Amino acid sequence: MSWDYIVTLFVPLIQGAGMTLAVFAVTFILSLPLGFCVTLQLNSRHSFTHWFAETYVYILRGTPLLLQILFVYFGLPLIPGIGPYLTFSRFTAACVAFVLNYAAYFGEIFRGGLLAIDPGQYEASKVLGLTRFETMTKVVIPQMIRVCLPSISNETITLLKDTALVTVIGVAEILHYAKTEVNRDGTPFPFVLAAILYLIINFVITFIFKKLEKKYEQ
Amino acid sequence: MNSNNDNHVIRVEGLTKSFGDNQVLKDINFDVNKGDVIAVIGSSGSGKSTLLRCLIDLEQADGGTIEIEGRRLVSDGVHADNKEKRAVIAEMGMVFQHFNLFPHLSVRENLELAPKLRSVGTEREIEDRTAYYLDKVGLSERIDAMPSTLSGGEKQRVAIARALMMRPDILLFDEPTSALDPELTGEVLKVMEKLAQEHMTMIVVTHEMSFARSAASKILFMNQGIILEEGTPDEIFMNPKQPRTKEFLSSIER
Ligand SMILES: Nc1ncnc2c1ncn2[C@@H]1O[C@H](COP(=O)(O)OP(=O)(O)O)[C@@H](O)[C@H]1O
Ligand SMILES: [Mg+2]
Repeated sequence: MSWDYIVTLFVPLIQGAGMTLAVFAVTFILSLPLGFCVTLQLNSRHSFTHWFAETYVYILRGTPLLLQILFVYFGLPLIPGIGPYLTFSRFTAACVAFVLNYAAYFGEIFRGGLLAIDPGQYEASKVLGLTRFETMTKVVIPQMIRVCLPSISNETITLLKDTALVTVIGVAEILHYAKTEVNRDGTPFPFVLAAILYLIINFVITFIFKKLEKKYEQ
Repeated sequence: MNSNNDNHVIRVEGLTKSFGDNQVLKDINFDVNKGDVIAVIGSSGSGKSTLLRCLIDLEQADGGTIEIEGRRLVSDGVHADNKEKRAVIAEMGMVFQHFNLFPHLSVRENLELAPKLRSVGTEREIEDRTAYYLDKVGLSERIDAMPSTLSGGEKQRVAIARALMMRPDILLFDEPTSALDPELTGEVLKVMEKLAQEHMTMIVVTHEMSFARSAASKILFMNQGIILEEGTPDEIFMNPKQPRTKEFLSSIER
């Protein structure tokens, strides 16, 4: 096998990696804040919003992500009446499914983190005159991040691997190109290259989280 | 002691508080004058913490009146609006049994977070005050330390400095030395005695009878949700009127 051949196999995979990273980044950036909103609703005393958040988390964690992707892409457009408004491009559909799914997981992680905050922290904040918003942003969330970081790190690595699922609706990411090459050339070697690519990205993600954990440990 | 009404920085009248069926405070009445050091004593469960927490709105009184420097937190069971409450709370600082330092912030950041957010002084003034109060509690060299690296006594002294940073007129202490190893209580009590000598108005819930005896201007003995007896340290320690007070004091002196 020549280097030239390996390079010709690798170039499309790199292109696919761009798409993989796009799905990954959109999901990561949107599902963290959305997950925090879910956590706040899970903790809300308002019974409807609490019920809604519980149900949301239950459904999205209780069904396969693959099914959710298929449902968003093929299912939503078929809903009578609103279907036409819920017709997405492959990429958008993939992102919608991923953001909704990961918000549920991050919501659960944050719930645990929030429970780990000592009630005394809220009391000290109040007595010192902090507003509720300041208490959240300056006292609670920084401590919550520290508690949650290892779980978020795990979940983020899972997210990267899960992006391979979007190949099912034809989003052109790493695995999509690898499969094409395998079928075309009749060699499993592109799969090995794809694996190497995932490992490299994972290495970078893990490195960043290790740095973050260092920064947040006290 | 001056009992002139104008001198009252705290006035509590008919304060009541229940948790469910458990009436924890039953008709509490007392006044605090400027510069008073009030020691609140009594057995565990008598309602001392709840009383202190009602004064600073960590618990919400059911009935009665709480007046701080002429402004009402609660008036005949009716609570002030949130804005007024915030203004009233700002007159007070509180020191907790378990310190409640912000573990993710350094000593300096613990002290400066609230004054900077509330603009209690310019940035420069706040930084000067940090140096001043850390020196006062004897922890100047720990300014960049994280709380987890401090001893209990050091944590509590930081907590006192943090409360002082907001320039409160009144300091509330809820068993400030109860979570400390016995050999560390002295350093905290010393700081509190210094504040008392400087005429800081303080209410201190404590089991440290030697502190109550030497530093307090007035003792409140709480028993089952009421102030059963109040008086000067001499009156309470030398000559308690209530049998229950005698019993409590002898139980604690053992
Ligand atoms: N948040 C709460 N919910 C229910 N009961 C409480 C709460 N806080 C205190 N109590 C009860 O109130 C009573 C007095 O408690 P507390 O004020 O802490 O007493 P002290 O500080 O004198 O030991 C106790 O019986 C305690 O169980
Ligand atoms: Mg108590």
